[in-house]
Amino acid sequence: MMWFNKSSLISVEAQRKRSFLLGLLPALVVLAAITIAPAVYLFMTSLTPLDLTRQEETAGDYSRPWTNYVELGSDQRFHNSVWVQVKLSIFTVLLQLVVGLGVALLLNAPSRFLEAVRTVFLIPMVLPPIVVSIIWKVIYIPDVSPIHRLLEVFGFPIESLITNPKLALWAIAVADTWEWFPFTMLILLAALQMIPDEPLEAARIDGAGSWQLFQHIILPLIRPTIVVAALFRLIDSIKAFPLIYVLTNGGPGMVTEVTNYYAFIEAFNFSYWGYAGAISVLMVAGVFFFSWLINRMAGRSALQET
Amino acid sequence: MSMVNSVDIFSVRARTPVRRRRRQRIWLYIAAGALLLVVMFPFFWMLQMSFRSMDDIFGFSLIFKPTLENYGALRTGDFPKSFWNSVAASVTSTLLSLVIGVPAAYSLSRARFHMQNRIALWILATRMAPPIAFTIPFYLAYRQLNLQDTITGLVIIYLTFNLALVIWMMQTYFDAIPQTLEEAAWVDGCSVWGTFLRITLPLTAPGLAATAVLCFIYSWNDFFFALILTRTKAQTAPVAIVNFMQYEGWEWGKIAAGGTLVMLPVIIFSFLVRHYLVRGLIAGSLKE
Repeated sequence: MMWFNKSSLISVEAQRKRSFLLGLLPALVVLAAITIAPAVYLFMTSLTPLDLTRQEETAGDYSRPWTNYVELGSDQRFHNSVWVQVKLSIFTVLLQLVVGLGVALLLNAPSRFLEAVRTVFLIPMVLPPIVVSIIWKVIYIPDVSPIHRLLEVFGFPIESLITNPKLALWAIAVADTWEWFPFTMLILLAALQMIPDEPLEAARIDGAGSWQLFQHIILPLIRPTIVVAALFRLIDSIKAFPLIYVLTNGGPGMVTEVTNYYAFIEAFNFSYWGYAGAISVLMVAGVFFFSWLINRMAGRSALQET
Repeated sequence: MSMVNSVDIFSVRARTPVRRRRRQRIWLYIAAGALLLVVMFPFFWMLQMSFRSMDDIFGFSLIFKPTLENYGALRTGDFPKSFWNSVAASVTSTLLSLVIGVPAAYSLSRARFHMQNRIALWILATRMAPPIAFTIPFYLAYRQLNLQDTITGLVIIYLTFNLALVIWMMQTYFDAIPQTLEEAAWVDGCSVWGTFLRITLPLTAPGLAATAVLCFIYSWNDFFFALILTRTKAQTAPVAIVNFMQYEGWEWGKIAAGGTLVMLPVIIFSFLVRHYLVRGLIAGSLKE
């Protein structure tokens, strides 16, 4: 190896590193163009009263940059939308966890039949969300819904859920859970299958019943997974759009108008793009802040457990 | 990610939990079957609706004469074009994301850059942002760039979720391949990317296929971006279905048939990559 002096060795390494950088660069450039640039543009837009029906006057008008944000501070509709979003997210995530866990527990056994059932249960999650919305629109219109008809036949006729201000949000949560429970089911199934047999066998021999097994062995072991699944669903729950668009249009009144939808309406119905931009900026800030908070709490609780 | 690497929910070879008695098994199967019927009922209901004639579309009797008239009705009008728009947008977006993202994933996997964690955080942040935060600037920009109502416009905005997905998923697949194979090739004088193409990439073929399919599915299923950024020329299938809801009475026959057609590719592809779905769905977060 006498001919291999140190400087040529370094240059080979450096060359390789440069090759890797070349492979990474296009992606970074594209990412910057499609995430950072739009983010800046969004923020700048939120500082203007941009209204596309009066574009010349409003575009680029930075004379009173914080008006939109100040207005949002006293915008009842905005505050309502945030509250609706919180309610929907919490309920829908809890429901998805419970249903997903229940189904995972039920289907957690090696069997061709159960494997087929698990596969079929993938369908709601992979369906285009618009198709899910159509499916549930039929279910929720009393005149045409087979469910309403069934209830009627059995003597329990019920009124329309999606036109009932008290129940509309829960109707959406149910449809959303139907769509996404396979997600939590899949993740929890994976976690359940990682549970070693020995503690379960030992506990059974000692006479533990199924519920005790669940409470003291299974649940603690899958708790980290439950948290991960919950976080994922929580973040994705903010994106719920087709269901609201097709089922209720934010109504009746504004009881199902989540913040995402409110921003959509401000931009596309009222053409207040600057205002919608401000709402979006606050949404993004909220999501980031919330994630940071979760991260802090998770870090601290992990510390407490050691 | 080790948690989900070694586990396959769709394989009967999955580990056995506590053994159950045979009689309990039968009850389990009955319960599972009943659950299946109850849960999937709404889905099957729409499916059967698409085969009912329009005058009986909401009929409750399960015995009816199936007809293809709804599917036939779809042939005239905008639906076929929108279907091809969906194909074009999804395939193009997938290919573009792979071409840009796979080399990046490889670089992130092999080279230790000090900005590694920053990039990971950046990608995670992209995933967390609500779509409206993207649509507003993109809509305004597209108006000026003449990209409104174009497939190109859709493909670009689809990159916001597909590129991140590709980088995350492929990085884990590359991480799983030992570097020794590549190092041997490097010592023999093979270039970094030559080695990549000839040795590493073929080894990740199943993962690559799964990633591609997932990109396709996410692009195909998109509703929000397509609704806002397209109008008539580049309208995709999910949005076209909504058009059947704009008139006096919703054209339920076409809606059901359209819905069935739109979901068909996705269901087929999902079935093919079901073993990779868990990884694709939670791509990234467990890496911490």
